[in-house]
Amino acid sequence: MKKIENKPEVLAPAGNLEKLKMAIRYGADAVYIGGQAFGLRSRAGNFSYEEMTEGVAFAHDRGAKVFVAANMVTHEGDARGADDFFKTLKSIGVDAVIISDPALIVVCFNAAPGLPIHLSTQASATNYKTLEFWKSIGLERVVLAREVGIEEIREMRRHTDIEIEAFVHGAMCIAYSGRCTLSNHMVNRDANRGGCAQSCRWKYDLFDMDNGEAKSHLRDGEPFSMSAVDLSMLHHLPDMIDAGVNSLKIEGRMKSIHYVSTVSNVYRSAVDAYCDDPEHFSFDPAWDEEIWKVAQRDLSTGFYYGVPTEKEQLFGKPRTIPKYTFAAQVLDYDPDTHIATLEQRNNFGVDEEVEFYGPGFTHFKQTVRDLWDEDGEPIDRAPNPMMTVTMTVDAPVEPYFLMRKK
Amino acid sequence: MIEIIATAESYEQAKALLDNGADRLYVGGHPFGLRLPESLDLEQIGQITKLAHQREKKVTVACNALMHNEQIKKLTPYLSKLAELDVDTLSIGDPGAIFVLKELGFPLQFIYDGGTLATSAEQLAFWAGQGACGAVAARELTLKELITMQKMLKQPIEVQVYGPTCIHQSGRPLLTNYFNYTGGTAQAEKASELYLRDPKNENSQYPIVEDEEGTHIFSTEDLSLMGQLKLMVENGLDTWKLDGVLCHGNQFVQIVALFDEARRSIEAGTFIAESFCNRLAKIQPEQRPLGTGFYLKSPEDVH
Repeated sequence: MKKIENKPEVLAPAGNLEKLKMAIRYGADAVYIGGQAFGLRSRAGNFSYEEMTEGVAFAHDRGAKVFVAANMVTHEGDARGADDFFKTLKSIGVDAVIISDPALIVVCFNAAPGLPIHLSTQASATNYKTLEFWKSIGLERVVLAREVGIEEIREMRRHTDIEIEAFVHGAMCIAYSGRCTLSNHMVNRDANRGGCAQSCRWKYDLFDMDNGEAKSHLRDGEPFSMSAVDLSMLHHLPDMIDAGVNSLKIEGRMKSIHYVSTVSNVYRSAVDAYCDDPEHFSFDPAWDEEIWKVAQRDLSTGFYYGVPTEKEQLFGKPRTIPKYTFAAQVLDYDPDTHIATLEQRNNFGVDEEVEFYGPGFTHFKQTVRDLWDEDGEPIDRAPNPMMTVTMTVDAPVEPYFLMRKK
Repeated sequence: MIEIIATAESYEQAKALLDNGADRLYVGGHPFGLRLPESLDLEQIGQITKLAHQREKKVTVACNALMHNEQIKKLTPYLSKLAELDVDTLSIGDPGAIFVLKELGFPLQFIYDGGTLATSAEQLAFWAGQGACGAVAARELTLKELITMQKMLKQPIEVQVYGPTCIHQSGRPLLTNYFNYTGGTAQAEKASELYLRDPKNENSQYPIVEDEEGTHIFSTEDLSLMGQLKLMVENGLDTWKLDGVLCHGNQFVQIVALFDEARRSIEAGTFIAESFCNRLAKIQPEQRPLGTGFYLKSPEDVH
């Protein structure tokens, strides 16, 4: 009987403390976050040391891990303070740091010996000798470049035992990550120090020069663009797991709670289903249905099964994806009265079709039949952000269940 | 000692470059060397190396690709051949290639060419610790940063003083994908020299090239540090690279010759920057404006 020897972890992004907790509640084995410096997401809600401490305690209480991304490519002076940063991370109990810059790797070795280091995808690891190199330097894990295929991962696994982390879901750079300075050149923002302006998603003219005259090569009014659709390996998790990937990474430290909870929930469920019984595994269409509720672009398999074609780029009119909105979070539930207490996150009201979902891939549809405000007064709608309301539900819910609507 | 490094696209051009002041030729070929004016095979590299050595000049071979397993497997025989040909130096960006080179134990030197990832003295010191005898600086650095870095490093930092710089490398065939989507004839169109323009910036004109490795986008301007050469020399930045990836034949040779003349003039103490800048402007390809890229910006301008 086939058995999974190395069950991979599900690794989710967490832009802030609330998202960290949600990701872990919804099944992530590990989360990655950013600190106040040395990261690449200057606009993601980054963690203070106090928040990190709380996040690490929360994670460790539940057997989960916390990694801190310090994947900036430093210029002279940028590494100032990095020694204290890594030292503090180690004392907080962070499980690993994600670094691409060898200068920061050296600082980390010296300042926080024993703190595991993962090589960031920004360093473009694309072959097994590169993995061996970083292992010989003392790194514990390499996050692969997104340009690597499944067959290549299998081959890497045969050659080296360093931990392999690979992206399974989310937005992608169209360039080799780290090898794009479009933002630097176009808007003076350093892509490798957190300033990426997503210039690859802009629209461009394409032309040649004929005796000093620009001759357009655009067709049918379609501008040239380099925008990639998003990655999803949901349908191919057995391939990823069998290839020997140790960590399945979900992209998106800027993404919402709705997104992070949903994607973590789906991958948790699918990975468990396969690893528990690989021989009788079959794909549950409900996973797919859930994933599309938070999809922002079309989904594809990136480079895993070959070099992406035009079908994996955003040309023409984007596919219309039905939008779901995060409407409320469950604070409490009374099993005797079937009344749930909710904290509002978006306007909703009586007669609307909503959907509850919770950890363990639980979900059910619900019509809002009644609604009361904090004082127990019946209301038609819940219009105020973060207001507390109560309503009757048809199935049991628990705190931290979430409610979405179309 | 100021060293002038120039890309060479053929034996004939290599000869002319050596005649006109190049101290070191930069050559290479598919699938290990990226963004070269021509992909040369081992025989051509051998001939050029012989020629350079006859004149007591040197050759660097580009091994600057981001290598996949397939390339890494072919790398050992390639490096063995290069060692036999007695080339002087390799330029390597992929740590896996450095690992292979160390395992083989060949007496081949290498410089670290990590493209966008070579931005501080501490990084370059790390690669020096792995055996690198020099390093290529990222083009997104300012002169101020480069000067600081060189002061902190024993190994020479190679600075691009002339030519276009790559600002984007994708593993995808972005032109083919566009033409396939719009129903164009990809083969024919890819043969012409294509540019991108950001509609928000009328003066932008980014060369875009697709090859077996994917798609490369270059800067609108050809970098030129002609006006800053003296300042560079005074601050120990004396390894100059001229890149002819988009400028071919004799036109490139003339430009190299002008930088050689500038060098001699600096050494003689007679250098007048404005005069040399003017002369460069006259021989510069018409469709390629000259500029100083990030070199004269303040480090605080880019964030």
